[in-house]
Amino acid sequence: MNDEIIRVENIAKVYENGDISVTALKDVSMTVKRGEFIAIMGASGSGKSTLMNILGCLDRPTDGSYYLEGIDINEKTDDELSSVRNKKVGFVFQSFNLIPRTSALQNVELPMIYGKVRAREREATALKLLEQVGLSDRSEHMPNELSGGQKQRVAIARALANRPQIILADEPTGNLDSHSSLEIMELFKKLNREEGNTVIIVTHEHAVAEFTDRIITFKDGRIIGDQTSGGVA
Amino acid sequence: MLLLENVKLALSSIKMNKMRSFLTMLGIIIGISSVIAITSIGASAEAVVNKEFQSFGTNAMYLYMNWEMTADSGIQYSDLILPEDIDALKARFPEDILYVCPSLYGSSEIKVGRVKGKLEMEGVAADYNKFYRMDMVYGRMINESDIQGKRERIVIDEKASRHFFNKADSVGEKLVVRLGGENKELTIVGVYRKEPSIFDKMNTGSSFITYVPYPLLQIGDDTAVALMLYINGEKNPTELGGEITRYLSRIKDKDPMFYKFESAEAQMDMINNVLGTLSIAIGAIAAISLVVGGIGIMNIMLVSVTERTREIGIRKSLGARTKDILTQFLIESMILAGIGGIIGTALGIGIAAAGMGIAGVAVIIKPLTVLIAVGFSAMVGMFFGLYPARKAAKLNPIEALRYE
Repeated sequence: MNDEIIRVENIAKVYENGDISVTALKDVSMTVKRGEFIAIMGASGSGKSTLMNILGCLDRPTDGSYYLEGIDINEKTDDELSSVRNKKVGFVFQSFNLIPRTSALQNVELPMIYGKVRAREREATALKLLEQVGLSDRSEHMPNELSGGQKQRVAIARALANRPQIILADEPTGNLDSHSSLEIMELFKKLNREEGNTVIIVTHEHAVAEFTDRIITFKDGRIIGDQTSGGVA
Repeated sequence: MLLLENVKLALSSIKMNKMRSFLTMLGIIIGISSVIAITSIGASAEAVVNKEFQSFGTNAMYLYMNWEMTADSGIQYSDLILPEDIDALKARFPEDILYVCPSLYGSSEIKVGRVKGKLEMEGVAADYNKFYRMDMVYGRMINESDIQGKRERIVIDEKASRHFFNKADSVGEKLVVRLGGENKELTIVGVYRKEPSIFDKMNTGSSFITYVPYPLLQIGDDTAVALMLYINGEKNPTELGGEITRYLSRIKDKDPMFYKFESAEAQMDMINNVLGTLSIAIGAIAAISLVVGGIGIMNIMLVSVTERTREIGIRKSLGARTKDILTQFLIESMILAGIGGIIGTALGIGIAAAGMGIAGVAVIIKPLTVLIAVGFSAMVGMFFGLYPARKAAKLNPIEALRYE
């Protein structure tokens, strides 16, 4: 029984910038099981976003290994990583990162375009996802016609487009008011509980972390805490 | 599937920046329209020249004395071409010389009743209309017995017929002309019609071209300084012309270069050659503006890549591969150039049509030229789009996402 979805072994990330090298991650190891709901906490510069980028296959570790669903990421080419991102990971960003002047529906369709899904199927799935996040009446709206909370819900629908197991959210509530933040966190919780998605959220807000089942704390590129709350194993 | 998406994407991006896209295209538009206009004008001019020569007969040849060689001594009687020389030529080249006639012209002011006019008379041998493209609408052309009998006959143009007699068919009417200082009454035996030629416009005044038996124009003696020939079209006119003039020089006991010739075909080829070279040369200069247009596209695509760095990062994070981003930008620049090419082609055809319209000549558009022009502009777009597209495709997704 292999329900381990993410396995990180002694990874390090060093940014070389001319003569100066900055160590963002040092000797980080962790595993994530299918269906976990995790918060990664830490002050800015603690390396949590760097880890998130590596987990999302946007970046590679300088040292150590990373297995995603048993796949050794270090052995993959850039284009293979694109395909991994497309199929296995859904990203939600702090600044929403919707494509401007492109409707909500088309934004949600985007990962499916790169996943070579047929146009008709794409549209049907996108509409269903928008309905799931409560925006079926906003499908033709442009990002600049949506509120922050709505934008983030479109982004979540987009992250779900190719039915990935893992949702990675980097400060998803960072640009939202407390009411919208609550809504978005409820949405993540629902995805985790009802759809069985593995959700990993990077945040520095305790209120956000409270929603999750496991909190991993970073400081200076290392894990300094890993606690499971509420008695959930 | 992705291709269609990319085309849609490119079109919407072009639409989003209408003014910028148009200005970018302008270089291509100017380049393509000038190439199309110039090649079309060239092709049309060539067609006009060919048509003129065709009506004249491409097998026409003009044989004449080398005036430079007579400059010192003056023209000797022995230099002149005599009837027996013509007979000798006909006997020597029975298959190749289809028509031969001393080149003779005359003109006369005439008056029919109170109507005045001027006739240009060209001396012809029998069956001239078999070689020179003209339609006999009434009566007949000058024939062999007119020549032999030195009969006072004339063939006039339909316009002349209407001018002098106020009717199209004036066969049987008479015209009094002045030839060699005496009045001669010529009977009209035929009326012809000729398609209008661009040279007609150069023909000023009310002068009408008419044809008479050539002996009527031989004043004093029956010698000639030049001959009008129609030769066998299957032979190379330059080679045959050389043979004929050398033979004539030999029987006249002259220097082999004493008689010269001009063939219509050789002249037509020469003019076509000049026109062709000219339009290629000007076209090539115009094509340089295409390169300038291409650089414009490259410039704006680089701007566009920078502006959309974040978008590229988002796309990459969502699973776009290097190839997908490359295709997206390449297609955008190709469409930009392609649309410019189409507009340029339309404009070029318009310019050519307007220009040729002023000259009163039908414009000729070669479909191949249009195809090449649009294809070439898309290629310009691809070539100059490649660098910006590669730059976009190679962006690091994390850096691109952080770009503000």
